[in-house]
Amino acid sequence: MNFKEIQELIKLVGRSDLAEFKMKDGEFELSIRTKFYNAGRQQVVQTMAPAPATLPAPIASAPAPAPAPQAGNTEAAPAPKSAETAPKSDKKYLEIKSPIVGTFYRSSSPDKPAYVKVGDRVEAGNVVCIIEAMKLFNEIESEITGTIVKVMVDDAQPVEYDQVLFLLEA
Amino acid sequence: MPTENTLFVGKVLVQLPEVDSTNRYAQMLLAKNRPIEGTVISTFHQTQGQGQIGSTWESEPHQNLALSIILYPVFLPPHAAFALNMALSLAVRDFVAAHVPGPVRIKWPNDIYIGDRKTCGLLIQNTIAGNRWQTSVAGIGVNVNQCAFSPHVPNATSFALETGQSFELPPLLTALCHTVEQRYLSLKNSPTMHTFLPEYLQQLYRFGEVALFRRPNGQVFQGTITGLNLDGKLLMARPKGILEVFGIKEITFL
Repeated sequence: MNFKEIQELIKLVGRSDLAEFKMKDGEFELSIRTKFYNAGRQQVVQTMAPAPATLPAPIASAPAPAPAPQAGNTEAAPAPKSAETAPKSDKKYLEIKSPIVGTFYRSSSPDKPAYVKVGDRVEAGNVVCIIEAMKLFNEIESEITGTIVKVMVDDAQPVEYDQVLFLLEA
Repeated sequence: MPTENTLFVGKVLVQLPEVDSTNRYAQMLLAKNRPIEGTVISTFHQTQGQGQIGSTWESEPHQNLALSIILYPVFLPPHAAFALNMALSLAVRDFVAAHVPGPVRIKWPNDIYIGDRKTCGLLIQNTIAGNRWQTSVAGIGVNVNQCAFSPHVPNATSFALETGQSFELPPLLTALCHTVEQRYLSLKNSPTMHTFLPEYLQQLYRFGEVALFRRPNGQVFQGTITGLNLDGKLLMARPKGILEVFGIKEITFL
C-alpha cells in the first residue's frame, strides 16, 4: 500500500463514524484511531485480511458505532488520534519470548527462508528463530501452538532477555 | 571404534569417511531420535564445515579433526549458556596445550590460538524451548597436519606448523573427547557462569594487555580486556577510567 492509498484511507475513515480501523496484509499492518476512539467505551474494531490492492470496500459495510456529532470539517482530512503499526500488548495474543540476550535471526543463514512468517501455523516444538549469543547459535522452539500474527523484531537485531519475539493467535 | 578412557563422550562414535558438516549430520540425527549423550560424529574429510552464520570452515581432506558432540545440558539455565562455551573452550584449549608448546590461548569467545594464530574453531548450536535447554551440538574443528592455508585465512596455523611433526588423528580424537568430558562433568557439577570464569580469563587471549581493536565503523582504538559480563560480553577498560561492553559483532581484534 503506497502513501497516497494510506492518505485516502485516512480520509475515508475520518469521514466515517468509525472509532478505530485496522487492516493487515501479509506483514503490513495499519491501525487508525479517530476522534471517536476515546469518546466513551471502545466501539468497533474492524479487522480485515487479506487487504485488497485498492481501497478496501468493506469500510462501507463496517458496523457503525454509536453515532456522534460529526464536525463539518472538509478542508483537510481529519487527522487520526493515533496510528500505530502493531497491537502493542494486546492480551488476546500469545507470546514467544527470548530466553537469552543475543541477536535475533529469522533463518538459519542469509540464503535460507525464514523459519516462520506471519500467517504460519506453529506447533509446540517447531523452531521459530535463532538467537545468537556470543557465537552460540540457539534455535528457539515454540512451546505454544498458534498462528503467527506479528514478528516483533527485525532480522539481525539485538534482543533482550524476556523480550517478546512473536505474537500468536491461538 | 568407541574411544577409550571416557565415561560417555565418544562412547558412541560415528566415524564418517566424508561428510558435508558434522554439525549438520548431528542435527539430522537429533531430528530423527535422541542419540545417547556424548555421541560423537567425526570425520577426517569435512567438505562444507560451518562457521558463523553464513561463513564456512575450510579443511583439507585427511589432515584435520572435525567432530560434533551431542550434549543435553538440561542442568544449565539458558541465560547461563556462555558457561557451556567457557567449559568447551577450556576443554579444547587443554587438549591443544597438551600437544603443542607455546602460549595456547582462547580468543574470545571460542577460538583457540597458538601465539597469534588460530588452530581451532568451535560452533555450538543449541535448541531451547522456553526456559528449558533441549539439545546442544558442539562442533569442533582442529587444524592438525595441514600446512598450507588459503590466503583469506592469513592467521591460520596447525599442530604440524607449530611442532614440525605430523600427528595420527585417531589418538588425538580420543584425547579431545577426554578433555571435553572432564570439563563438561565439572560444569554439570557446578552449572553457573562463575565455575570457569577465573580460569577462562586466565587463558584469554590479550586479557589484561593494552591492545588495539576496531569498531564496526572502522575506528581503531586502544583498550584492555578486563573481564566478561554475565552474558559473556567483553568488558574493556578505556582511557580515563571508562569501561565499555562489547558484543560479538561490535569489535574486531587487531
